[in-house]
This record gives sequence, structure tokens and C-alpha cells, in this order.
Amino acid sequence: MADVVAGAENIKLSTRNLNIVYRNARTNTEVVALKDINLEIKDGEFVCIVGPSGCGKTTFLNTVAGLIKPSEGEIRLDDRLIDGPGADRSVVFQSPSLLPWRTVIANVTYGLELQRRLTRQTRDQAYQYIEMVGLKGFENNYPHELSGGMQQRVNLARALTVEPSLLLLDEPFSALDAQTREFMQAELLRIWRTAKKTSIFITHQIDEAIYLADRVFVFGARPGRVVDVVDVDIPRPRDLKIKRDPAFLRLVDHIWSLIEKESTKQGFDSRD
Amino acid sequence: MKITKEKIGLVISIVSVSVFLLVWEMASVNRWVSPILISSPSEILREAIWMLQQPSFWNHAKISAFEFSVGFLLAMVIAIPVGVFSGWNFYFNSLVNPFISALYVTPKLTILPVIIIAFGIGVESKIVLVFLMSFFPIVMSAQKAMNTLDQSLIKAARTFTASELQIFTTIALPSTVPFLLNGIRLGMGQGLIAMVVGEMFAASAGIGFMLTNYGQNLQTGRMFVGVIVITLTGLALTYVIALVEKRFSSWKPDLH
Repeated sequence: MADVVAGAENIKLSTRNLNIVYRNARTNTEVVALKDINLEIKDGEFVCIVGPSGCGKTTFLNTVAGLIKPSEGEIRLDDRLIDGPGADRSVVFQSPSLLPWRTVIANVTYGLELQRRLTRQTRDQAYQYIEMVGLKGFENNYPHELSGGMQQRVNLARALTVEPSLLLLDEPFSALDAQTREFMQAELLRIWRTAKKTSIFITHQIDEAIYLADRVFVFGARPGRVVDVVDVDIPRPRDLKIKRDPAFLRLVDHIWSLIEKESTKQGFDSRD
Repeated sequence: MKITKEKIGLVISIVSVSVFLLVWEMASVNRWVSPILISSPSEILREAIWMLQQPSFWNHAKISAFEFSVGFLLAMVIAIPVGVFSGWNFYFNSLVNPFISALYVTPKLTILPVIIIAFGIGVESKIVLVFLMSFFPIVMSAQKAMNTLDQSLIKAARTFTASELQIFTTIALPSTVPFLLNGIRLGMGQGLIAMVVGEMFAASAGIGFMLTNYGQNLQTGRMFVGVIVITLTGLALTYVIALVEKRFSSWKPDLH
């Protein structure tokens, strides 16, 4: 673990004038998915992005992942320009996207294998991450033998095992039932405390965002942009009970009103 | 002993087959239908015991087995790579697909006369026919498998900086296995038909040739022995494929 130099703000990820424009060849129109995104994420920070559907939050994550090229502007990670996918980032998608013919351990080492870094040592690491996500004893099970929540744990272990500099999570719990989701949020924070990875977490659930994040970026739609950045000054470790805390609820209200404003605007747009 | 659903099913199957054989036997013995047309189970059994002791029967069987295995193996060896690669690569697909699509719907048996002229009445013409008939189900299944790859797996692999080759070997190839086995099963059935029809049409040896001869000589019992041999072969091969399938699908959810 790199020691944080005292005083200096260690910027992990920064975007400058990031614009993503899609061109529809048929109608010859342009859709601005993201407009002028300028943001900085600090080393070790847990950042959530919330916003109404169509606000470009998933586009943003895919761009940071290197799956989408910016139309304009740039993204820097550890002061290196992002140009395509890299071993310094890993993504946890909404669907577990595990190889069904591979066991848990073979799925967790899959990323290492693709990056040609599978050694005895990194394999041991994989076992440690499996233990960290709470799946010790399930190493030789196939994905179909696991519940949805357990599959997402495997997905998370696979992402952590490659030891990325930045962890990207795209609504990883949205397909889970409400109780499992709450439990997984708490688990994620526990894992995050242990693994100490800078994380960007996309969600449409406001309470999930506040519970997890140091800072919440609220995105607005059409064009997708940052409308507010909300600091979450709730001390860690956080118990799930804080979701009923007045301070927590005030934050929910604040973000909710921002998103509501964005959604209504969208509604008027579509009626024009 | 516990009575399970499977055991009841087995009993029902045994009873239904026994009743069928019994009615057949009675129909023959009581001359409801002329024995020349339908023979009878006991007659077929007698003939089978006699035939299995004849070296000529084993010679026919050997030749048929050779024709089928060479044609079928050749079909697998060529159809699997062609199907997989054409499903993977757009340009290669453009190159071969017109031929595959057209030949797939062409009844291959219609060109049998030309095949006989070109390759003679020996084993070669049958090998060609078996190859042609079993090739297309296999090639089509491989293409289909490649067209239905799980895109979310590919996307995840890309975030781990996977190369195209890595995506091909770690996602595409394993995904094709269940489809391929299905294509191989269909191709096997087609191959067996090709072998028999080829031998019946023009040949000097083979199970199909043998049963045509017996049929034309009104030795119906012996003809049925030939038919049963082919049926049993088909069942045995299907069983082998099912075993392979089981070996490759331990990761699949149990559907029972």
C-alpha cells in the first residue's frame, strides 16, 4: 500500500471537458450523452453517481472503463491518459457475467489469466479474495449452484483479484432482492475497508449512494452532466441503521429534490 | 423397495414394447397379415442367431462401419472449424455461407447418381454421401452457437483487457459445445441414413446392400435383422453422445 503523502491531495482520477456525443446515422441527429464532465476523485475515495435514467451515468462508467472513447476531453487515472481498457481498472457489472462452465475459483482467476498474470502467488491471492467476499468453501462450485447475491460476490472477487487501481461498479446490486441488497451494501463497505480500493459506484438508488459514498455525484439528464456534488459526512464504519438517521434522511431529501427537478424537466421535454 | 417415478416409467415402457411384440407375433402366426410382409419377432430372432454366425454378415457390417466412420469423422473434422470460424469472422462467413445455405436445403440424395458415377459403387461413394449428409447439421449448429454468444461475458472479458483470441478461446469455443453436440447428434442420424441409402442404391457390399437383397428375395426376417442392426447402431451412438454431453455439462443446472 502506498503511503499517502500528508497534505497533498492525491488525485486518483480526473476528467477534463469530457464530452460524449452519439450520432444517429439514420435520423442524422446528435445525442449528447455527457456534457463537460469535470471531476476529480481522490485516492481511496468511495464515490457514488446517481441520476435519473438517461443521465449518462453508465456511459460515464463505460468510458472510464475504456469501453467507450470520449468524443472530446480526456480522463486521467494515476495521471495516465485512459485509452481503452486497462489492467489498472476492473468493472463489476449489474449481471454477474461469470463463465457458467467455470468453477468459482476459475472464474475469480479469469481476469488474471486474461492479463497473463496467473501464477502460484496470484492464485493464492484469489483464494484470499474469495475468503474476503465470504465465499470460503465454495471455490469449486459452479455459478448456477450459487444465489444471485453469491454470484455478485464472485464477480466482486474477480474484480478485486487483479488488484486494480480503481474499482468500477455499475449497479451491481440492482438485480438482487431488497434484503439481499441491503446486506450486500454493508458487505461491500466491509470489503472496501479491507481492500482499500478507490471505487466509483453507479446506482439509481439514493439511499444506497449515500450509505456507501464519501461523495455523491448527482447527474442530470439531457445532456448528461454533473448537477451537484454532495459530501456525505457520516462517520465510518457505518451501520445499516444510519439509513433512518435524520442527517441521512436530509441528504436523501436533498438529492431526491435534485433528481426530481431533472426528471420533471425531462417530462416537459418529452411533451414539447 | 421404493417405487420411484423412474421405475414406473420403466415398467410402462417394458409393457408397451412387450405388448407390441406380442401383437406382432400373433398377427404373423394367425396370418392376420401375410408373414412375407411382416415376418415375426420369433422368426427374426431365429434369423439373427443364424446370421450372426455367418462371416459374410460381419463382412457387410465391417464395410458399412468403415463407410460411416470415415464419412462422419471427416464431416466433423471439417464442419466444426468451418462452422466456428464462419460464425466468428464476418468475412469468412460471407465467403462460405452462400454455399452452406444453398447446400443445406438441397436434398443430397438427389445427386447420388452423379456421386456413384464419379466415385464408383465401392466404399468411396458412400463415404462422400455420408460426409455430405452429416456435414450440414454440424456446420449449422456451430454457426448458430457463435451467433448466440453471451455479450455480457465478452464485455466483462474486454474490461480485463482480453484480446480477440482470448475471447475466442475462453468464451466462444466453450459456448459452442452444447450446440455442437446437438449438431453432431443430428449429423449422425443423417449419416446413417446416407450410408444405408447409398448401399441400397448401388453397392456390392454393406448392411444396406445386404438387406436390399434379402428384401427382394422375400426373406423378410433377415431383412428385418439388417434394419434392427442399423437401429441398434443409431441408439448406441446416441448413447455415446449423451455420455460426452454429460461429461461436458457438469456445470449446467440440473433440470429435473
